[in-house]
Amino acid sequence: MSNATGRTAPGEAVQTSQSTGLRRFFAIDQSAQFVTWAQSSTGRLVIALGALAAVAPHFGVWAATIAIIAAMAATAKSDWRNPALFSATWATAFVGTATGDNDTLDNIVAVVAKENLGEFPSVPVAIFFLLLLALATGMTLQWVRRSPESFLARRPLLSMLALEGLLCGVGSVDLVHGLPRAILWSAIFVLTPYLWFIPYAIVDQRAKSPGPMTLQMGVLRPFWSPSYLSFNKGAAFLRKHLAQNPVDLAITQLKAIKLLLWANILFAIRDGLGWLFEVPLPIPSVERAIDGFLAGNPYSRLIAWTALIVATARYSLQIAIWAHLFVGIARLAGYRLPRGSWRPLESRTLMDYFNRFHYYFKEFLVDFFFIPTFFKMFRGHPRARMFFATFMAAGVGNALWHFVRDIDLVATQGFVPTLHSYASYAFYALLLAIGVGFSQVRVSMGIKPAATPIGRLYSFFFVWSFVVCMHVFSDGSRKHTLHELLSFMANQFGVF
Amino acid sequence: MDKNSKQKLRDFIQETLKKHGDHQGFSDGESLFSSGRLDSFSMMNLVMFLEEAFRLDFSDFEFDVALVDSVNALEQLVDSKIAS
Repeated sequence: MSNATGRTAPGEAVQTSQSTGLRRFFAIDQSAQFVTWAQSSTGRLVIALGALAAVAPHFGVWAATIAIIAAMAATAKSDWRNPALFSATWATAFVGTATGDNDTLDNIVAVVAKENLGEFPSVPVAIFFLLLLALATGMTLQWVRRSPESFLARRPLLSMLALEGLLCGVGSVDLVHGLPRAILWSAIFVLTPYLWFIPYAIVDQRAKSPGPMTLQMGVLRPFWSPSYLSFNKGAAFLRKHLAQNPVDLAITQLKAIKLLLWANILFAIRDGLGWLFEVPLPIPSVERAIDGFLAGNPYSRLIAWTALIVATARYSLQIAIWAHLFVGIARLAGYRLPRGSWRPLESRTLMDYFNRFHYYFKEFLVDFFFIPTFFKMFRGHPRARMFFATFMAAGVGNALWHFVRDIDLVATQGFVPTLHSYASYAFYALLLAIGVGFSQVRVSMGIKPAATPIGRLYSFFFVWSFVVCMHVFSDGSRKHTLHELLSFMANQFGVF
Repeated sequence: MDKNSKQKLRDFIQETLKKHGDHQGFSDGESLFSSGRLDSFSMMNLVMFLEEAFRLDFSDFEFDVALVDSVNALEQLVDSKIAS
C-alpha cells in the first residue's frame, strides 16, 4: 500500500523539494556536499555514532548497538544485507527474551505466579518456544510458496487469529491448569508479538519474486521495531523502498539521522510538557481528574479539559517518537520508508488524521481489514461499501489488534473480566470507526473542508476536539469502567 | 483494452492525481501507488471505476497493489479479467 498522504518518498526529496528558511538550514539531505560526505568512511562512522546516541536512550545500549551495527552492515555490501538483517533480528529477539527486555518474560512470570508453581524455568521455556516459532515460521513460509492456493496462503490473518483463538481458548478452560497451563500460555506469549507480522510474510510468499528466505525471516519482526505492529509491511514493501544507489543510500541515511534526532526532540518536548503541567502548574493527570470526579471532589472543568488536552498531546508525541525511531533505523538500513507520523496537526478530516497520526497502523488495517471487506461487501452500494469497509478497519480491526496486544490479561484475569475491562476501548473503536467512516463517505461525495485559513482552522478544531474527547476512552489503562468514563465526560460537557 | 478504454483509464487517473494536487504527467509504466503519488482511498475509487467502466467482478480477487500500480499493470489486469 502506498504512502497515503501522497508525500514524497524520502529519497526523492533531493530533486523535488523547495525548502525555505529553517527547513533549508536542516536540509542536509539536499546538500550535495553532505550527500558526498555521507558516502565517505568518516561520514558513515559519524552517522552510525549519531544514530547510536539517538537510539540508545530508548532501546537500551545493547539493543541499540545491535540495531545500528546491523543497519550499517546491511548497507556496507549488498551481500551482507540479508545475513545482517537476519542476525540482528533474531539476536535481538533471543537476547531480549532471555534478558527480560520485552513483555514475554513478564507475562510468563505472571501466569506462573497465578498458577502457584513456584519454580518454573521461564527463560529456557521462552527461548525454546521462540526457537520453535522461528523454525515453524520458516517451514510454513516454504510450504506456502509451494501451496499458494492453500487456505493459509489466501487467508493468513484469519488463520493466525484462529490459531491464537484456539490456543487461548484451550488455555482458558478449567481443565487446563498448573504446569500445562503455564507452558501453554508461555507459547501464546511468544507467538502473540509475531501474530500480525506472519500474515505479511505469508502474503509475500505469493509474490512473483518473494526473495530469499533469509530476507523473509530477517524482516519477519525486524530488529528496528520491537513492537506488535509492523513498521515495514513485510519484505515486499521493503524491497520496493530499498535505496538503489550510493547517492540514494546517503540521502536516506541522512534523513534517518534527522528523523532519529527529531524523535529525541519530541521526546524532550513530551517530557517537558509533562513537567510543565504537573509540577509548576496544578494540572492533574487524566486519571487523577477522573478519580477526583468519581470521589465527589472534581477539578474544575477547565483544569480537567487541560488535563485531557495535555494527555492527548503527550500520547500523540509518544506515538510519533516510536514511529520515528523505528522508521529512522529502517532508513539507516537503506529503506526509504515513509514516516509513521506526519504532521497530524494539519489533518483536514478524521480519515486524514488517522492516516497522518499512525500511518503504519492504518496501513495494517487497510491491508487486512479494509481491502478484503471492500472487495466482498455492499458492492452495488458505493457509499455503504466505503463506510462498512472503513468501519471494519477502524473499528473491528483496531479493537481486535488492541485486544490481542493485551492477551496476557486473559491469562491472569480470565476472558470475561478482560472483555469487561475492554469495554471503554471497544467504545472508542466504535466511535472512531463511525467518525472515520463518515469522513470517508463525505470525501467520496466530494465534500471537503475549505482550503481557506478559516477552513483550516475549522478542520483543526473539529479533528482535534474529536481526538481529545476520544482520548479518555482509548488510554488502555482499564482503570475505570466505561460508565465512569462516560459520566466524567458528561460532566465535562456540563450534562451534570 | 482498446485505445479509447485506455484513454478513459488514463483520464480517470489524471483527474485523481489532480485532486491530490499532483499536476505532473505520468507514463504507462510509472508506479502510482507504491511511489506514494496516490493513496489507498484513490485505489478503492480506481477499483470502483474499473468495476463500473469495464463491468468487472473483483469478488474473488486476491488483492495485490502490484496489480493496479501502473497503467500497464491495470491494462493487464483488465484484459485478464475480461478474458476469464
